[in-house]
Amino acid sequence: MDERSSIDRVFSRIGLITVVFLVLALLGGVFLLGRFGADTPVDYKDDSDHFKYGSLGSEHEFGVPYWIWRALPELFQDKLPLPSRGWQSVGFVFEPGKDLPVGMSKRHYLGFDVVWLNCAFCHAGTVRETAQSGAKVYAAMPANTFDFRAFMRFLFATGEDRRFTPQDILRQIDTIRKREGLGRLPLIDRLVLRFYGIYYMRERILTLRDRLSFIKDEPEWGPGRVDTFNPLKAYFNFPIEQLPQRERIGTTDFPSIWNQGQREALKMNLHWDGNNISLEERNRSAAMGAGITPPTGDRPRMKRVADWLRKLDAPPYPFKIDKTLAADGAPIYKKYCAECHGADGKNFHGEYSGKVVPIENIGTDRHRLDSYTYDVAVNQNMIFAEYGDERFSHFRKTFGYANSPLDGIWLRAPYLHNGSVPTLRDLLQPSANRPKTFYRGYDVYDQKNVGFVTDVAEENGKKFFLYDTDENKEPGNSNKGHEGKRYGTELSAAEKDALLEYLKTF
Amino acid sequence: MADEQRKGYRWKLALLVLVILVVVFGAIGWYKFFREEAQPDWVTATPDMRFMYGSIGAEHDAGLPYWIFFVLPRMFPEKLPGPGGYASLGVAWEQGQELPIGFTKKVVGFPRVANNCASCHTASYRKSPNDNPVFVPTGPNHTLNLQAFFRFAVDCAKDPRFNADEIMSQIALVYDLPFLDKLIYRYVLIPITKKRLLEREKQFQWVYHKEFPLWGRGRDDAMNLTKYFLLNWPMDDSIGPTDMPSIWNLKKYQPEKGMLMNLAGDSHDARSVIIDSALGLLAAAPHDSEDFRKQIDWLVSYLSEKQAPKFPFPIDEKLAESGKAVFAANCARCHASDRTGTRVPVEEVGTDSERLKTWSKKAAVESNKVVRNFGIERRGLVENEPSGYIAAFLDGIWLRAPYLHNGSVPSLRDLLKPAAERPKVFYRGYDVYDPVNVGFVTEGEEAQRVGTRYDVGERASGNQGHEYGTDLSAKEKDALIEYLKTL
Repeated sequence: MDERSSIDRVFSRIGLITVVFLVLALLGGVFLLGRFGADTPVDYKDDSDHFKYGSLGSEHEFGVPYWIWRALPELFQDKLPLPSRGWQSVGFVFEPGKDLPVGMSKRHYLGFDVVWLNCAFCHAGTVRETAQSGAKVYAAMPANTFDFRAFMRFLFATGEDRRFTPQDILRQIDTIRKREGLGRLPLIDRLVLRFYGIYYMRERILTLRDRLSFIKDEPEWGPGRVDTFNPLKAYFNFPIEQLPQRERIGTTDFPSIWNQGQREALKMNLHWDGNNISLEERNRSAAMGAGITPPTGDRPRMKRVADWLRKLDAPPYPFKIDKTLAADGAPIYKKYCAECHGADGKNFHGEYSGKVVPIENIGTDRHRLDSYTYDVAVNQNMIFAEYGDERFSHFRKTFGYANSPLDGIWLRAPYLHNGSVPTLRDLLQPSANRPKTFYRGYDVYDQKNVGFVTDVAEENGKKFFLYDTDENKEPGNSNKGHEGKRYGTELSAAEKDALLEYLKTF
Repeated sequence: MADEQRKGYRWKLALLVLVILVVVFGAIGWYKFFREEAQPDWVTATPDMRFMYGSIGAEHDAGLPYWIFFVLPRMFPEKLPGPGGYASLGVAWEQGQELPIGFTKKVVGFPRVANNCASCHTASYRKSPNDNPVFVPTGPNHTLNLQAFFRFAVDCAKDPRFNADEIMSQIALVYDLPFLDKLIYRYVLIPITKKRLLEREKQFQWVYHKEFPLWGRGRDDAMNLTKYFLLNWPMDDSIGPTDMPSIWNLKKYQPEKGMLMNLAGDSHDARSVIIDSALGLLAAAPHDSEDFRKQIDWLVSYLSEKQAPKFPFPIDEKLAESGKAVFAANCARCHASDRTGTRVPVEEVGTDSERLKTWSKKAAVESNKVVRNFGIERRGLVENEPSGYIAAFLDGIWLRAPYLHNGSVPSLRDLLKPAAERPKVFYRGYDVYDPVNVGFVTEGEEAQRVGTRYDVGERASGNQGHEYGTDLSAKEKDALIEYLKTL
């Protein structure tokens, strides 16, 4: 054995070790990449399911690990409005057999199943014929039961609580998984959550809480409402406390979002104040509200929702309609309403349909209008910058509210942009005669008055939201406006009956 | 022999690889830092658009990397005058436009944002609070808080949060930078930008001077800017914030008739003023002197021809007609005569004289030298001591409120009062127009919220002087004001 061959042997051994090491590193890398690199949303064959449960990509930025999402309402039961009802107690809608509520999507991302919101959390609701009947879910109607602020309050309260620790949360997850016949979470998941995920999530919750802290100064929204553009100011990080008081309240009803195609074709002013005529832009803006960011929005899946909503018809009124009476209502509608609200429930053409009516003329509560300012509009111009045509360029400050077509109007109660008038029948009253207070969030339908039942304060322990129209107590809630001869509040009782019956056909 | 040959090949191979590497890295470096892309076509679609959004070449030395520009107001809102991001600085920002007027975006290696003339020279007005603004390119930007803008950039750079980690995480929320660009931002652009902005602090000392009143909206301390920026002089005690001027219809200035430009007649002709102002925006000698010359040529011809906008409210023609005679008898002597466009001694006009002390013959001589050394030919700055203010042409005077060189008098109606009766405190920078008094609304809740407080008792802000026509009858004043609306 000469010297040379022994050196060779050493080298060859080193070479072997190196090769083995490299192979192992490669395998490890492939494993980690496979384990943490995948980005796969849960998809649905049916468009309507995609709308309700499909992903817009909001999980990339806001995703909550599925098992934490499950654990929170159990671990922090005491923070919920109705402890026994879990996420439902903040108004989320669960369909039978589903583990996630309507409006929540799931995606495998960074090695976890993570969940967050899509369009449907604000744009899907429920209707019951009577208190005894089951709830029917309608996609694209306003989320009449969902209480956005209650949801946020709960989330923020968890982040503030001492129990938001890896130990407590993982223990709760184990409890749930055991109950459901599942084993413990895989070790690698536990480790990531234990040493990173849960701390990070808590930090994110508290950051979000601070960013949105201005909301606590606003009058309560209650179910079915949101302040659309003040959170956008927070997104821009405007010091909101320096804004004039009148710009700091913008509470409005969630709108229905069916039949978008015709609105787009007619270049209607979208949003309550008609601040944008581009449907695509409006959609991207709304998707940001659900949690996407320009880099993380899932374009193909967003488009799928948008295309579906373009064609989606409003659901027909499911209860009995008196056809003769409705026919009597048609000419009344034509005379009083069609010019602004479109020819009928299917044809939205009208001289002022989709146009903005100056606030002086419509006379409704102006807070929402004032909350959207020129400064906000121009700042929006930089959103989606460097993403080609996606950059916002159609937002405009307006000085009134937009005339909306009335498709599916029966499902869009309460009425006016701030949801201050419980039923269509009330809307045909001068504001002095409209209900001063009423309950929102109850989903039993009131066929006589066309709207939801609003005199029920509580059902099986669930308390409903008392809406007070006194603008001095609750600025933004005024039920004034949209009244006078022109607006049908002076019609005879028989004419009103006929008009209401006709509107059910929309 | 064969061995040696092989060695030779190896050397050649190594050399070749080296050359390829140098070329590749050089090409990448050139592409990522220096390649110039023309702005999109819409920018130059009309002369007005070009004036408002067209690059004049300032991106090279004064340009901020786009994504840093983008995230600064979100990261440092507390350093802005109020809520609204860049809008809180009173920039003229059209709905639908990515950047405010006067902010140019251009790719020089990477997208950069710089400024052009329109940032200070675009006026905005609203006919009522329930209206969106109308923008008038070449008008005075009476809403812009330039001092706050200067301070904002430097204050951001001074903040410890101006670091790669924080800025990159903000950018990640709005744009997915490619990997290489992430590295470039993190390791090159962010540190360099911070350094360059901090260097400005020294030149901006007077912008932070504690004893100097704030300029407020619509004003700029232009001659000091030249002294400290172009000449790098040490700070002195002078202060002279003046109104942003309108720059339409520059052909009215006829240097051959002895007319001078700038508020105090500091410059010989339009071309010189445009060159000097553009150099201020470039913050350095032009990167491409041929391109610079073309830009200047274009600006000279555009600004020569561009006309003042018409008064946007009804005018009582008959009243205006009778005002014409009042004008002829009382104003034409200076404002429509051979004297127009020439210096009126400050002793005669009696207006605040501080502005004159911000400039000197020495400064003019030295500035001319610096510009000559850039290889730029121009008649340049007037090499004598400032002694008075230019008797102004009054075209588009309705949009040039507030009045006098320092913007100390809110409206034309106020200007026709003796100084003692003119408003002592008012708010500037609110853009709703007051057609009765001819000027902007300077009182009331909104004007106070949006505007900056102007106190005529502060240094360089006196509203004395130009007490002409103050003893006209009320009727004559009405007629005169009506006539002035037609100019």
